[in-house]
Amino acid sequence: MAERSQHLALAEGLARQGHIQPAVDACYQALRIDERSAPTHGLLAELMLTGDFYDEAIDSATRAIEIDPSCSPAYLALGLAYDRRGGMWDQSILVWHELAEVEPELVTAHVQLGEAFSAAAFDEEAIDAWRRALELDPTEARAMYNLAVAALKREGMATALPGFRKAGELDPSQDELFFSLAGIYDDGNPAPDPADVPEDRQHRLEAAGALAFEEDYFASAELIRAVLDDDPEDAEALGLAGYLYLKQEATNEAMACALRALSITTRTPTAVYVLGVAFSKRPGLNRHAARVFAALAKAVPKHPIPHVLFAESLLGLQKYTQAGQAYRTALELDPSCVRARFGLAAVLLTDGRYAEAMWEIRRAAYYDTSRQGLFWQLYDAYIERRS
Amino acid sequence: MADDAAAQMYQAFVSEDPAGAIAVVEKAKASGTAQADLFDQLFAPAMSLLGGAWASGAIDEYAFTQAAVVAEQIASFVTPPASAQDTGVTVIVGGMHRDYHAIAKNVIGATLKEAGHRVVDLGVDVRPAEFLERVEESGARIVIVCAETIGTASSVVRVREMLTTAGHEGVVLLVSGGPFAADVDLAKDVGANGVVRGAESALRLVERVAAERLANGAD
Repeated sequence: MAERSQHLALAEGLARQGHIQPAVDACYQALRIDERSAPTHGLLAELMLTGDFYDEAIDSATRAIEIDPSCSPAYLALGLAYDRRGGMWDQSILVWHELAEVEPELVTAHVQLGEAFSAAAFDEEAIDAWRRALELDPTEARAMYNLAVAALKREGMATALPGFRKAGELDPSQDELFFSLAGIYDDGNPAPDPADVPEDRQHRLEAAGALAFEEDYFASAELIRAVLDDDPEDAEALGLAGYLYLKQEATNEAMACALRALSITTRTPTAVYVLGVAFSKRPGLNRHAARVFAALAKAVPKHPIPHVLFAESLLGLQKYTQAGQAYRTALELDPSCVRARFGLAAVLLTDGRYAEAMWEIRRAAYYDTSRQGLFWQLYDAYIERRS
Repeated sequence: MADDAAAQMYQAFVSEDPAGAIAVVEKAKASGTAQADLFDQLFAPAMSLLGGAWASGAIDEYAFTQAAVVAEQIASFVTPPASAQDTGVTVIVGGMHRDYHAIAKNVIGATLKEAGHRVVDLGVDVRPAEFLERVEESGARIVIVCAETIGTASSVVRVREMLTTAGHEGVVLLVSGGPFAADVDLAKDVGANGVVRGAESALRLVERVAAERLANGAD
């Protein structure tokens, strides 16, 4: 028993560090000692999935569930393996149903269930599943992306595009872009108390950025006000102020701040970002948004999101081929960019390339669940329940 | 002049005077500013002035918000129209009889509509006679038939036969779907004038056909 646990613990440690092959070996060692270990089979399934060995992943996950029907991480691995293998939608639907029953609060189970329904052409059921996911978590971006794709299939791009943009706002990647443009990074320390911030521009701006990062918009706004009281022509402060307004759905105020900042200096990427987003929220300004995001993509060519934002504006202009190119650029920079995957899927759908579109959506699912560390969340909770 | 107008519009914003802001727009249009240029030449500079006033403390937070509300009220007067202008070109779109695949048809139809074309969407599973009826009813000279299986794709020939029999040889028949994309000869065999390979391709083809018809003096 102790030896089995040691091998499993070793496999877990190796897997968490991304050492797939040694982790697989350790799993097999553990199974030689105890073939009826559900977590080991579940872990092996995840490892096989990571290595794109779908049939082996299906076998291992199925075995884990046979041994223990409450082994939720195995359902996740099994569902993802069915989805990525393709052509097994009926089984996939069953698995996601099971996972939603075993873990009713697990939003991703409902999102995946919707995608399985959609792949099997049960469109109404798919939409219901995504709506259920959004009821559980209104910030679930992937459910929103899927609803946007469903809208595209039924009513075209003009109806779908606001959905893509809304999903993009829910997606943490867009805020990450802003903070990276502003040079604000999470250093693990909490934002300072505004009362303790030294009264100079640099400290105030940094603190305002840190407070905005923590979504304390009012405290951040007070500090920006202090910076602007000293220098009303501080373009960076105006860019940050614009972002705060955007986050409070005050688009015109955001636009005013951004335009003022850019009239002072065009070299303010945060203001360029704010202006582009403000334009993209207003029907009829897709051409303006495209121009602004093209400039942003040129200014920060190594970041995927400006390319995605540019692509979305192109969708609004019915320039689907160009949009596809911009999405592909974003995916070259970051293959795990879920927003670009869904956008590219939309472009492929407009081109009648359904199989490729579905493939992009499946890849998005893979990266999204990986990004969330969902397997490990379920796995750790399962191990805790067992102990 | 443009700076002046922008200053006047800014003043209307902070005075919470939407009627005054609209009057500035009308004046700019009367003096020759095109509708497409109003946003860049008038609204954006006025918004920049507004941002500057807020930054300098010339107006407080409340006045800034109220001015933004006025800006919202007149935004539709200065932004370019969200949908394209009516091209006057009518296009009939439908899925072939016994074919229930709707996605391509929906996406193509919506794209053409967004581009300003008049789209008559017949839905899926449309009998050839219905295409003919709608051509005669609407006067459309372009028909797009979608078919995603070999069987339904082959039967598109019946649409062409029906149009020809009724004396509508001039109607441009475009086809869409996997079988046609895979085998262009199939499109020729069913009497199609072209293959639509997605929404953007539909736009290009319809615009080309419409331009050719215009050049030839057709309706």
